[in-house]
Amino acid sequence: MSGQENEDLGFQHRSESILNCPSSGMTTSHLPEKVSGMTISSLPVFKPSNGADPFFGSGWDPLVSLSQSENFGGSSMVSHGELSNPSYSVVLESQGMNSTSHLVQYPSDSNFVEMVPKLPCFGSGSFSEMVGSFGLPECAGIANSGCPPNFISNKEKGTERASTFGAQSQDGRETEDAGIGSSPSGKRRKRVIDSNSPFSTNKNAEGEQQKDLSGESSDVMKELDGKKLKIEENTSGNLRSKQSGKQSKDGSHSEEAPKENYIHVRARRGQATNSHSLAERVRREKISERMRLLQELVPGCNKITGKAVMLDEIINYVQSLQQQVEFLSMKLATVNPELNIDLERILSKDILNSRGGNGPIVGFGPGINSSQPYPHGMFQGTLPTIPSTAPQFTSLPQTVLDNELQGLFHMGFDSSSAIDNLGPNGRLKSEL
Amino acid sequence: MNNPRRLSSSCSMTNIKSRFTHGFLRALSRINTRKPSTTREICKRFLRVKLAADASMASAVGSRRAWSRAMLLKMRLRRRTCRDSRITNDKKKKKKMSGSDQKEEVNGIRKAEELRGLVPGGESMEICKLLDETAHYIKCLSTQVKVMTTIADFYSL
Repeated sequence: MSGQENEDLGFQHRSESILNCPSSGMTTSHLPEKVSGMTISSLPVFKPSNGADPFFGSGWDPLVSLSQSENFGGSSMVSHGELSNPSYSVVLESQGMNSTSHLVQYPSDSNFVEMVPKLPCFGSGSFSEMVGSFGLPECAGIANSGCPPNFISNKEKGTERASTFGAQSQDGRETEDAGIGSSPSGKRRKRVIDSNSPFSTNKNAEGEQQKDLSGESSDVMKELDGKKLKIEENTSGNLRSKQSGKQSKDGSHSEEAPKENYIHVRARRGQATNSHSLAERVRREKISERMRLLQELVPGCNKITGKAVMLDEIINYVQSLQQQVEFLSMKLATVNPELNIDLERILSKDILNSRGGNGPIVGFGPGINSSQPYPHGMFQGTLPTIPSTAPQFTSLPQTVLDNELQGLFHMGFDSSSAIDNLGPNGRLKSEL
Repeated sequence: MNNPRRLSSSCSMTNIKSRFTHGFLRALSRINTRKPSTTREICKRFLRVKLAADASMASAVGSRRAWSRAMLLKMRLRRRTCRDSRITNDKKKKKKMSGSDQKEEVNGIRKAEELRGLVPGGESMEICKLLDETAHYIKCLSTQVKVMTTIADFYSL
């Protein structure tokens, strides 16, 4: 380990920060610098005996007494059989050490006990640094589920600002990641990243992480819902891709949260969280939704499953419709023009009547009314047939047809005259 | 989401239908001024009727849809320079064929290319939008067919 000379300072400050972590959340920010100076070699000596260590100055005395009474930390740490463990425990014990008010923060032994498991939570900065100096495996053993997010977030943040942490800590972090198997879902990482952009806000992240640990994964997920995962993924896509495999394996948390909305997409359990894959999934779902709509439009496609077959059917249907239009236009082209005129007038007038616009028809009014009796009787027989063939024009009331036909009859079926009449008619209609 | 969509579309469909009927009948009256005597005249009329059907449908839909916009643009270009439009159409066809040959391996893409050729203005659309436009195009085509069938029945009487 390096920085043995900094031990005193490092320990004190470190203990300070560690002390603060569980009780009040990380408030001290000077941890990083000191952590690097942590040395472990002398620590094991400290644990078993009282005041044996020359490293710890006056401030350590109370720690010694506390540690003796506590022993828990030592035992738990020693069990790991690692050099770092004892130092770890010492750190734990020394948390209350600092000559300042930190001692006050540890009124009872139980606090120490609580501190041990909470150590991992302490915070991205402090813990990772400590771990880095200690070495990974020990920390991995110690670290609880709460640790990984800190580490991972640190790691991801560390890539951004590696200046504060030395190479050691970074290596430590990376190894930590590998060692930590029970890492929670990637959501936590993302959340941490999202909430702690500046390094100084590490403490807040730690506090939040503590809450996460104390709370439930569901809570975390709810909080994560508010975050834009895409942004996070973009910032640390490489790191995620490495960790995505781990995430998928972690079945501890239910990651079946459905897609929130267009922008907020959550990776489902067992799926990669790559931003590309998520966008792809959104796109695929959109396409499948459109295909379902088309399935309803195209007749006889309810039981078809499969994009290719469905597309085939759609293409065939569109082609058939276009051919039908062509055939009908050909048919209409060969139709007698006289009937055309009548039809147009009838249909267009009907449409106008349905809209309530009787203006253009007024011109025919007198003519129609005067000739009402005879043509009415004439066309009564033919009228029923016409509406029957025009199912679409259900709006065509028979009375309207009667009027139209009366007008037409009155005008005469001479095509030329009809055309002349149509001219102004057409113009009037066009105005409407 | 689908239901309100359908409701709105159905309302718009009736409007589209009436608008299309109106415009189409007007165009028909303009076209069928004389009795078609020769087959050549019938052919001309047929083409004009077909054009009128497409034009009235496109204008009934308006500029709301990409396919209707593309159709209207095509018709305007056709009116201005008939020859040029024909040339461009041939070129497009050639491009389409070469593209389809290359992509024959991937069925999905090939089908999409086919669909692109059918739907007006579908050349430069991504699949998602293409499917959307296809759905609306199918709706309008079916309306068109219904109206024209009714009119043809009227005439045939």
